Amino acid sequence: MLGEPIRFVLNWGRRYSLWVFNFGLACCAIEFIASSMGRHDFIRLGVIPFAHGPRQADLMVVSGTVTDKMAPAIKRLYDQMPEPKYVISFGSCSNCGGPYWDSYSVTKGVDQLIPVDVYVPGCPPRPEALLHGILTLQQKIAAEQSGPGGVSRPDPLAARDAASLTAPMVKPSAPYGSPGRTEGP
Amino acid sequence: MTPEEVGERLVALLTTDQAHSGEVIAGVSGGGPGHERAVVDVPVARWWEAAGSARDPAGLGCDFFDWLSAVDELEDGFTVVAHLWSSRRKHGLLLRARVARDNPVVESVVDLFPGAAWHERETYEMFGITFARHPDLRPLLLPPGFEGNPLRKEFVLAARVAKTWPGAKEPGESEAGGPAKRAPMRPPGVPDPNEWGPLKGKVPAPERPERPARRERP
Repeated sequence: MLGEPIRFVLNWGRRYSLWVFNFGLACCAIEFIASSMGRHDFIRLGVIPFAHGPRQADLMVVSGTVTDKMAPAIKRLYDQMPEPKYVISFGSCSNCGGPYWDSYSVTKGVDQLIPVDVYVPGCPPRPEALLHGILTLQQKIAAEQSGPGGVSRPDPLAARDAASLTAPMVKPSAPYGSPGRTEGP
Repeated sequence: MTPEEVGERLVALLTTDQAHSGEVIAGVSGGGPGHERAVVDVPVARWWEAAGSARDPAGLGCDFFDWLSAVDELEDGFTVVAHLWSSRRKHGLLLRARVARDNPVVESVVDLFPGAAWHERETYEMFGITFARHPDLRPLLLPPGFEGNPLRKEFVLAARVAKTWPGAKEPGESEAGGPAKRAPMRPPGVPDPNEWGPLKGKVPAPERPERPARRERP
């Protein structure tokens, strides 16, 4: 375990150089592009778009409708990303299936496939909502325990069974940085 | 040619003798001024022949295959629709044929329009309509192992039977507490879990909140 100043510096470096990999699947991807452009400009937050591929990316933004046929590709590209990796689920469709919840082909949330760090609600969310989601993720990274050998991030989906797929909705806990919240391991 | 003339021309091409008169019907679909489209209903046995006549440069010259799909008409069967377009003469044609619900088979037009192959594969998986003489009739879009034809009206969207609907869009229904004041709206094709599936008859009726007591009238 490293001391607090070193931990702060390591996390400071990681939170402001998030190479992002946009998994754009539908109209939400356009909002993602809008937030990368001049008016909203998430590069000023240290989010660097257009990573060369998932192997060079730290953050995956799943924006759009996840279908059952696309699900293996999402899982595969997520597995190709190096640790530590983060996922933002952008928009109602990737959060829970959205307006296509009853459909025969739409996955009921990308969190059934991969662990999600930040959910951004909206249909589609405004670019400001993505900026807020990125800031929330950066607060989460800043609170992590990093040390030699990287960050310990156990996979929350590792011990999953079929019953968890019918589990009720995730309830929001205390916001990041608030005293009631306990972080990580 | 106007849409009316396109329809009449195809009817004339397909009605060469008295025996076949009256089975090919031309009409015009709406779309606003300048956007009408000729619609020709043919018997399913002459589907391929009608597409061939429309494609023939001496006939209608519709060299461009736009799309092919189907409509579920419930007890009347299915209507197979194809849109053809003449890139030279700038006229279009909607070709329709009605097939029976039990044993829906249409002749494939892949040999006339190779681009129809994927459209026919999609119509095959979505409606269960078989296209005879199609070279490679297998599902196109659905994931492997998918059962059923999702665009048929009788296809049941069973997601709510397996998992409770996470939405909170009805008035008075939210995570803040308080039961729903009315039953959630369900889109067409989505059954009530209490009426269909393994939970049939086991889902308790939602608790109705008590109406507030009426105030004393002065």
